[in-house]
Amino acid sequence: MEYLRTLRNNNVIYSGTRNNYNQQTTSDFSIRFVFSGNERYNIGKRQLSIHNDSFLILNKGTHYTSTVESAIPVQSLGISFDDKFLQDFKNSWQLKDDTLLNLNKYPSINRYEHEFDETIYPFKGDLFFNVNHLKHHLDRGLQDELLINEYLHHCLINYFQIFNEEIFQKAQRLNFLSKSTKIEILRRLNLAKEYLYSNYNTNVSLDELAEYACLSVTHLLRTFRQAFHQTPHQFLVQIRLQRAKDLLKNTDYPVNEIVNMVGFDCPSSFIRLFKDRFQTTPLKYRLSF
Amino acid sequence: MKIKYIPIFTDDIDGQVKFFIDNLGFEVCDKKNLLTSRECVIMQTTSPDIFMLIAKDYGYDTRRCNIVVSTDDCLNDYHQLKLAGIQFYNEPQYSPTGLRAEFSDPSGNRCLLIEERNYTDLT
Repeated sequence: MEYLRTLRNNNVIYSGTRNNYNQQTTSDFSIRFVFSGNERYNIGKRQLSIHNDSFLILNKGTHYTSTVESAIPVQSLGISFDDKFLQDFKNSWQLKDDTLLNLNKYPSINRYEHEFDETIYPFKGDLFFNVNHLKHHLDRGLQDELLINEYLHHCLINYFQIFNEEIFQKAQRLNFLSKSTKIEILRRLNLAKEYLYSNYNTNVSLDELAEYACLSVTHLLRTFRQAFHQTPHQFLVQIRLQRAKDLLKNTDYPVNEIVNMVGFDCPSSFIRLFKDRFQTTPLKYRLSF
Repeated sequence: MKIKYIPIFTDDIDGQVKFFIDNLGFEVCDKKNLLTSRECVIMQTTSPDIFMLIAKDYGYDTRRCNIVVSTDDCLNDYHQLKLAGIQFYNEPQYSPTGLRAEFSDPSGNRCLLIEERNYTDLT
């Protein structure tokens, strides 16, 4: 189902099956999701790929191209927030004592937010539930803009919660005295993460990962572990397993083919890792649906 | 929306649990912090969709919920109930168990609308 809804307050929601696009510019701050397949965004020299376990933030005015590279139809959802709606939201949250942004603790969040937010984040928690509810209603023709805007308001709450978790809470774990150093290192580590999210199915080398993140290999390994409590390799395996799980559930590809599609070399090690993580074998998992 | 939990407040949680097990054949199935700042013992009743919530009684408490209504979409039901004129004590709030909002019935009984969310399934 394809639709483009422009609300009276100029928030815009697009849902549909994406085709190849020419170059575009975002007119507003927007969040991009895919529910099946994957979509690749080129922003400058960066190539970012989103799947159903992740989402992408695009800032106002960003030039990008997006292409679909997927064997299965790509169901995507894009939400663009009008400036005024976004500013009203930020003001209302900054005035709350119990704000999720915790502005007293992190007074510079607004300064860093713009620099940080245009990357890939995990599609998880309350954002996952609220976006799925919203899509469910829109697919069935919901017209009530008050309700749609209620969902959009909560999507922003949920996004900033994820932003806070992924940026500020993880920056606190880094062993540097200077706050600005922590923030800069985390910005580079996030580049490494987006590289892994986007190239999970290729033979990623530590050298190219470190180069993309503008860190030395040693520095990358040490700080990645401090911030995320796992190595880049463990993070990569986690993405591969998650995406293999999705393919097992939603496609008929043979297990051996999925092993190659998600970047594993060896079926036996894939089965062992899958079992360790999900306490079931790939085949049993597939048969459970 | 449906009633899923029946809250019981008591000074003696263990005694209350024993009473339900011994006399009504209920079983303890979980412990959750479903009511604000109260860990509750959850008991499966003989009806598969109805559970008892056994919570500590802290004496007179104006914020005590008498009814717990389960929903699969809290924001939608909150919005529809507000349109119908129902008075809510708060906007939907996030908790470790999901999204919740509290409203009042015409007699002033406090009701909890809760959408339980299983966050662990997402990883």
